[in-house]
Amino acid sequence: MLLVSALVLLACTWRPGIAARPASEPPAFDAALVQQGARVAALGLCANCHTARPGAPFAGGFKVATPFGAVYSTNITPDRATGIGTWTQAAFVRAMRDGVARDGSHLYPAFPYDHYTRLAPADIDALYAFMMTRTAIHAPAHANDLIFPLGFRPLLAGWKLLFLDHAPVPVNTAQTVEWNRGAYIAASMGHCAACHSPRNALGAVDRKDFLGGGEAEGWYVPALNGKSPSPVAWNRDSLTAYLRSGIAPAHAMAGGPMQAVTASLGAADPADVRALATYIVSLMGKPAPAIEQRALDAAHRPVALAAAPGGTDAAARQLQLGQRVYADACARCHASGRTPGSGGALQLPAAIAVYDPDPRSLIRIVRDGIAPGPAEPGRWMPGFAGILTSEQISALAAYLRHSAARQAPWNDLEKRVAAAEKDDRQ
Amino acid sequence: MSQISLTINGRAHSVDTDPDTPLLYVLRDDLHLNGAKFGCGLGQCGACTVIVGGNAVLSCLIPVSTIGTRPVTTIEGLGTAARPGVVQQAFIDEQAAQCGYCIAGMIMRAEALLQHDPAPADDVIRSQMALNLCRCGTHMRILRAVRRASDKLKGRA
Amino acid sequence: MSGALNAGRRLLLKAGGALTLAFALPRLALAADAAAPTLPGSLKKQPLLDGWIRIGADGSITVLTGKVELGQGIKTAIIQLAAEELVVDPARIHLITADTARTADEGFTAGSHSMQDSGTAVRNAAAQVRVILLDLAATRLHAPVTSLGIRDGVVTGPGGAKVGYGELVRGQELHRTATETSVLRPPHHHFLMGRAFQRVDIPAKVTGGAAYVQDLRLPGMVHARVVRPPSSDALFASTDQNGAAAMPGVLTIVRDGRFIGVVAQREYQAVKAAAVLAAATRWTAGATPAAAELHRAVEQMPSEATTILERGTAGQPGRTFSARYRKPFQLHGSIGPSCAVAQLEGGKYTVWTHSQGVFPLRQALAELVGVDKESIHCIHVEGSGCYGHNGADDVAADAILLARALPGQPVRVQWMREDEHGFEPKGPPMASSVQATLDASGQIVDWAYAVWSPPHNSRPGTAGNLLAGTLLAAPFPVPPAVPIPQPEGGGDRNAIPLYVLPNARVVHHFIPVAPVRSSALRSLGAYHNVFAIESFMDELALQARADPVAFRLRHMQDARARDVMTLAARQFGWDAYRPQVGRGRGFAFARYKNLGAYAAVALEVEVARDTGWVRITRAVVAVDSGEIVSLDGIRNQIEGGVVQSCSWTLCEEGLFDAAGQLTTRDWAGYPILRFPQVPDTVHVHVIDRPGQPFLGTGEATQGPTCAALANAIFNATGARLRDLPFKPAKVIAATQLARRT
Repeated sequence: MLLVSALVLLACTWRPGIAARPASEPPAFDAALVQQGARVAALGLCANCHTARPGAPFAGGFKVATPFGAVYSTNITPDRATGIGTWTQAAFVRAMRDGVARDGSHLYPAFPYDHYTRLAPADIDALYAFMMTRTAIHAPAHANDLIFPLGFRPLLAGWKLLFLDHAPVPVNTAQTVEWNRGAYIAASMGHCAACHSPRNALGAVDRKDFLGGGEAEGWYVPALNGKSPSPVAWNRDSLTAYLRSGIAPAHAMAGGPMQAVTASLGAADPADVRALATYIVSLMGKPAPAIEQRALDAAHRPVALAAAPGGTDAAARQLQLGQRVYADACARCHASGRTPGSGGALQLPAAIAVYDPDPRSLIRIVRDGIAPGPAEPGRWMPGFAGILTSEQISALAAYLRHSAARQAPWNDLEKRVAAAEKDDRQ
Repeated sequence: MSQISLTINGRAHSVDTDPDTPLLYVLRDDLHLNGAKFGCGLGQCGACTVIVGGNAVLSCLIPVSTIGTRPVTTIEGLGTAARPGVVQQAFIDEQAAQCGYCIAGMIMRAEALLQHDPAPADDVIRSQMALNLCRCGTHMRILRAVRRASDKLKGRA
Repeated sequence: MSGALNAGRRLLLKAGGALTLAFALPRLALAADAAAPTLPGSLKKQPLLDGWIRIGADGSITVLTGKVELGQGIKTAIIQLAAEELVVDPARIHLITADTARTADEGFTAGSHSMQDSGTAVRNAAAQVRVILLDLAATRLHAPVTSLGIRDGVVTGPGGAKVGYGELVRGQELHRTATETSVLRPPHHHFLMGRAFQRVDIPAKVTGGAAYVQDLRLPGMVHARVVRPPSSDALFASTDQNGAAAMPGVLTIVRDGRFIGVVAQREYQAVKAAAVLAAATRWTAGATPAAAELHRAVEQMPSEATTILERGTAGQPGRTFSARYRKPFQLHGSIGPSCAVAQLEGGKYTVWTHSQGVFPLRQALAELVGVDKESIHCIHVEGSGCYGHNGADDVAADAILLARALPGQPVRVQWMREDEHGFEPKGPPMASSVQATLDASGQIVDWAYAVWSPPHNSRPGTAGNLLAGTLLAAPFPVPPAVPIPQPEGGGDRNAIPLYVLPNARVVHHFIPVAPVRSSALRSLGAYHNVFAIESFMDELALQARADPVAFRLRHMQDARARDVMTLAARQFGWDAYRPQVGRGRGFAFARYKNLGAYAAVALEVEVARDTGWVRITRAVVAVDSGEIVSLDGIRNQIEGGVVQSCSWTLCEEGLFDAAGQLTTRDWAGYPILRFPQVPDTVHVHVIDRPGQPFLGTGEATQGPTCAALANAIFNATGARLRDLPFKPAKVIAATQLARRT
């Protein structure tokens, strides 16, 4: 009886394969449609996951670390042997809406079809036109490395049953056209919630805490809703500029996974990015006036950070150590009025990472620094992994939390610092 | 100024300097070690690369106050002109230098890489060495020298 | 024998039992006024043999050259030449490079002249010294010269008789004028020239030996940093020195107009004090013309036109095509920012400098501090690669001004990264227009080329060519820039193609005032002109439906040029090449200055349209440098030139903001090529021409690599890029416009 049930369930997970697109039909698409598709791809950040090295765009091989193991992105160039060259438009649409590959296998939601499913048909069609006109690159897929038994794809049918919602993005008639455009982009192409929302134990985006903060690649990803930790309020202009360039002067620098996001959005239609910013800003909470005032003051009239408390208890000693580390290693660039190199270093009372509920982003910034892409000019903070010990990074983070953010200490700081060091050793 | 104790190339040193002094200046000015070079002081070029606690580190960024007991290795600790170390010899064999200013940093980065991974793939060598700049365009020889050193360490040369 | 010895500076050095007489060398004028115009190479400027070669009682050999090591391997090559002609173990040779008190004045080590000028002089001097030594030995050993042999500095005669060089030279035997011809050792006897010989400077450089001016440590030496205005025309408003002056270790702060320097006991004290002083100093915007000029097209800047080629008749019938090419400001970007040490003692200055020209520098420094040049001794010590006129001379000026403020103490000035990027003289922006007519058979029957360029030479000379000289309260005027005449040229270097063009016109529009100081950057105008000409040759070949290599060969008669072109094409596998998707091949040729080395470059690129990523996969270069001295030296320079040119071409542009301030002040703002983007292979094939003069090689591949890249990108994508650099955004935009199936 159990066996029959299992077989019935398995049968329910089955999806048919779709016939290959004949090789004799070379794809021909309207140039305007391809251009529209380029805009969708830029907003959809396709290249970010599907490009492992700049010489092979969309050829896959990028490792996405999840709590369930590693998933490697696939080759979505129109190569017939190793990419999606044999995919008809119908197969492509099904993948985007339902997370099913041409051969009927289920796709892991590391590919965010739970967001792309909300794309308007015209946008998916345009994206198909764009993808099928890229340079075909021969690059076989890299096998995933998932915890047993998650490599068994039919299990995903159950996941989708629970979590895949095809409902389109509702239009809010009380808001402007631009706001609605932004809402649509955020929920579909931009898939912001994929990083900026928490996920449940089964790895699905928690829709009840929309944009309430999440994680990606060892970073804490800040909340964009009422819980936004930014000490300086974002406005439409500043957020648009940041999303398009990665820099909001005296306010924020895109680091880690956000760098590739802003690089991709920089190539998108500026009006679309502005719409996205309009929508996101409307959701964001505002900082407490005292915090904002202090942050703005620091940005425009640099002030020294508060001294560590005296005392011999462990907490005080840690803050004293942090203060020394800051003075010796960081102050040279981050302290009052210094502008080394091609741009200034952020005044830390204005830095979002020290206000995060979670120290992971600060730890990653300190360890990795922030550097521009190859052959691209930009701002450069060096990484201090190897320079500072875990004890020193913990102390520095605690000190910045205390003196720059003036928030309650992070209670899992040393654990997070150790975890970051362990991740880097692999 | 304070007395800071450091272990450099296996020897204990005590220097009287400001605690925020980057290691680079102590190596060059107090200990008269020429290998690590001033290239930018901003952590962008790698000419100052040394090894601290087993990791390749930019000596222009690491303040002496943070080093503690972690051992520091500079190029002088790898070998001498009379008896070069494996990586140094590989650079000599490949004549991997034009002006040579970046080379000590390159050798230290390569040494750290090979200590962690004695047989790195070509693309790993490229990405690991990427922080080190060479302005003369000696890259091809540098890559060959690292490969040569790796082969030697694996006993294949 | 020159009679113009400066008796006041004669020094006697005892070395064992023999005397080596060291004279202050007669101040001979430079090329225009050479003392001995028919002698080979720089013997024209210094005709005395012991101005080049000296032999000690112990057989040690000192070779002197007025050229300097820039990382191009010149020290090694000169030792090879001298040791070859003298038949000695090269380890015996002690080489002294440019030093105003000791060596010949060979001007600048630049323009790829070192082998042609100094190498030739040393080789001939050594050969003539060898002959003199053999004559002396013949007398000593009572044997005919023809019966003598030499082995490592020892002359051997019949019956086992022998005498070492050190015993032969007792007095002034080498103090004589060179002759016009020399008995050079024949190629089949060569044991060093053309043979594998490791660079003499590499062992120290890979083991932490002292090798650079940055490594100098002198007793009592103190450390300095400069505080510079935000842009070259910014005006000084105010400063508050109190904060910096009170900092630990600060010895003095010098301010003279816009020149500001701080000197401290310890180096990092100077760094910190300078940062504090900079933060306490206010500047105001300077005159606006410079800032406005910076954003103007080069062709619109005031210029003086010179026709440098006028051949045949214009207006030939056929199909006419035209194109424009341009390049931006580019930086030398020396990896080690410039550094100098200066000391004032007993009324005399000693300056340790990595300047390319210690003699002209001395003259400028003398004017700067108001002394005669005999009071200044400039000694060259190697710096990092300079690739032309970088901050080396300027930092020497900073050092001498600060040394003047602290008599007795050696003052070391180290520029910071932002100082070097910010204030090094830049490679200027350039533009050219090309127009050509093809006849029915696809042959070029008419050619017109025009190039616009600011100056490529602002070298000292005078105190007005030194940055500090222009910052003083009573500044020295910047001398008007003068174009470098053909056949070498500046902005018009390599503007005249080597191809057979029966009807051709070339015009050089010299822009005398650059919006920002511009000067010589490796290959000068050749990088841009060869980019333009060799890109256009491909564009014409396409119109003529001809293979790019075949098209060039159809227009080339110079046999050595044809040889390098066919060799590069063959080694690349040009004829059999079939491009894969995303890849393409490109070819280019030039003879540097039409006087130096011949180089042909064939390369393959990979181009990713969606990321704008361009990378050379493999490059093949064929080069003819005349007679080979150091094969590996040639290869190293050629490989390096390919990679550096690739960096310039794909990544590099100096950018300024609306206020005229350079925004690309470090490697973050001015990225250069890094390891992930360098080629898989660069293979260099060198054609040896025994008996032919040495040809300067160090700048031979800058231009051809650039054009070959442009041509390969076109082959891969159908996108023709004419606007340097080929940054990712430009490549993406151009390849989207030119989709190729």
